Amino acid sequence: MDDLETEVKALIVDSLKLEDLRPEDIDSEEPLFVDGLGLDSIDALELGVALRKKFGLRIESVSEDIKAHFATVRSLARFIRSQQTADAAAQQA
Amino acid sequence: MTAPFRPCAIVPSHNHWRAVGAAVAGLRAQGLPVFVIDDGSGEPARAALAALHDPAGGVTVRRLELNQGKGGAVMEGFRMALAGGFTHAAQVDADGQHDPDAVPGLLDLARRNPDALVTGVPVYDATIPRGRAIGRWVTHVWVWVETLSLRIRDSMCGFRVYPLAAVERLLASGERIGRRMDFDTEVMVRLFWRGTPVAELPVRVTYPPDNTSNFDLLRDNVRISLMHTRLVVSMLLRLPGILRNRPRRVGRSSHWAGLAERGMGWGLRFCAAAYRLLGRRACLAVIAPVILYFYLTGAEQRRASAAFLTRAFAARGEGRRPTWRDGFRHFLSFAGRALDSFAGWTGRLGPEVVVPGETDALREAAGRERGALFIVAHLGNVDLSRAVLDAATRRRLLVLVHTRHAENYNRLLRDWNPEAAVNTLQVTEVGPETAIALKERVEQGQWVVIAGDRVPVQSRGRVSLVPFLGEPAPFSQGPYILAALLDCPVYLLFCRREGDRHRLDAEKLAERVVLPRGKREEALAGYAAAFAGRLEHHALADPYQWFNFFDFWARPEGSKAS
Repeated sequence: MDDLETEVKALIVDSLKLEDLRPEDIDSEEPLFVDGLGLDSIDALELGVALRKKFGLRIESVSEDIKAHFATVRSLARFIRSQQTADAAAQQA
Repeated sequence: MTAPFRPCAIVPSHNHWRAVGAAVAGLRAQGLPVFVIDDGSGEPARAALAALHDPAGGVTVRRLELNQGKGGAVMEGFRMALAGGFTHAAQVDADGQHDPDAVPGLLDLARRNPDALVTGVPVYDATIPRGRAIGRWVTHVWVWVETLSLRIRDSMCGFRVYPLAAVERLLASGERIGRRMDFDTEVMVRLFWRGTPVAELPVRVTYPPDNTSNFDLLRDNVRISLMHTRLVVSMLLRLPGILRNRPRRVGRSSHWAGLAERGMGWGLRFCAAAYRLLGRRACLAVIAPVILYFYLTGAEQRRASAAFLTRAFAARGEGRRPTWRDGFRHFLSFAGRALDSFAGWTGRLGPEVVVPGETDALREAAGRERGALFIVAHLGNVDLSRAVLDAATRRRLLVLVHTRHAENYNRLLRDWNPEAAVNTLQVTEVGPETAIALKERVEQGQWVVIAGDRVPVQSRGRVSLVPFLGEPAPFSQGPYILAALLDCPVYLLFCRREGDRHRLDAEKLAERVVLPRGKREEALAGYAAAFAGRLEHHALADPYQWFNFFDFWARPEGSKAS
């Protein structure tokens, strides 16, 4: 399994205090909100703050495209990686 | 449609003769048979009209010895046209207001929509007298109510092409139609009710300088008022049939796609114009019948208003229950709020209309580099305080809105006044990205504004039941959770109308919202209760400025209330 995906899952369980859930119980393709894991809007806010703190995620404006990155653990890991790559490139430049 | 298209023209005239010759010649030049109805004119009009009679040349003049009024004359023209076997009749005024060159365009639209009433929508030049302009707008709004539709944009323009088959059915029904200045509007509304669609075409209309108008300001305005009363009563009595016969839309399809929004834009423009011309009080009086209509048809809002006022009166110790008058006043107050907002945004009101009450907290917030969270309520008009803020402070605001509707409204305002642009963020579907974006904004010093008296649909269950006007009501926990996450000071903002001014009050709810592990629910309920207490205080100062027209005490399904 992808290490970053595991990290994200651990973050979800920790930050949202999902005590009856283990990180490995979360499917990487499962929708996080509404169906699937069924997180609500407040969970979403808490998760956002945790993600920002841990991975330094930045968002300039909220759009449908941006929202799509937060659909599943897999898309989220991909988004984090793309920002990290962009940051690294910016530092080298 | 295989029936032939056989148009003619009807020109009613009462003492108009100077321009009628040119009008008739213009119609003849387009090959239209013309029926001129002399509606009991005196000399010299009588002789001038009679001289036009030339059946061989396609012009028939009929004289009505007794003045019938414009409607009576046009109806006489209808009968002549029907007897002559025509399918459509163009109605053209005799006073030169209507440009004969526009007739082919109207006829062309009628040919393509043979069952529709084709009407010109006047594009007035600067010659229209102001008194007439106001009257026209009042009628527009009435017609929207009467047809339960915004499809008729102008019902008073007498420059039209009638489908005579539908007219014949209407005449045969024996329905009473106003015969004077009320005719143009009433015949259109009644045809619309019977399923005749209305197709519109912009036409240029001029008030000629030498025009002797037959419009009697007092008598005809009374007549028009009576007509609207008649129409509204008929509408209410015949509602099922009217809804069943609702005509289809006609016209360019792409054009109509945006009609709903355009209609709203027109409504706003009407409000602005009326406010400018009449002032707030008279403007409210003008729209009062429309508000009454909404009051009578809005059972749910009416109940919500009564439920709130009952509790508010009890808390104020007034010892009485609200009557329908209180309910109507409550609705009117809501309309007044809309007017104020609009006037604020359109630059009709200066910053002086908002007077500071307790605003030390606001100054404190302004002095900080870091942003803050402001909790507001649907009470009074906080929006207005935003409207009169200086541009720099306004740019600091980020308003969280729950519906797309609010965004549309904001966009309309922006069309109206680019300075009214406000940053809004739609939070109906909140995601982690929302928190990340908000956190960044607060660090940049922005003020995040959120309503504390609405429970978002998506946050089911995230409410605290706290006392409000003597009974526990569900308050959203969202603002306090957000405040804890944003880790910033939290202020409450209230803005209420007092006389001709609005009073702005700000107070600090907390320097930091802390939600201790294990005591989270208690802490949230504590903050919600503090907000509810202040809300109650301001709501009781003037209960009519409470603008939550839904069952405020209803518990959301599946709430894990604390």
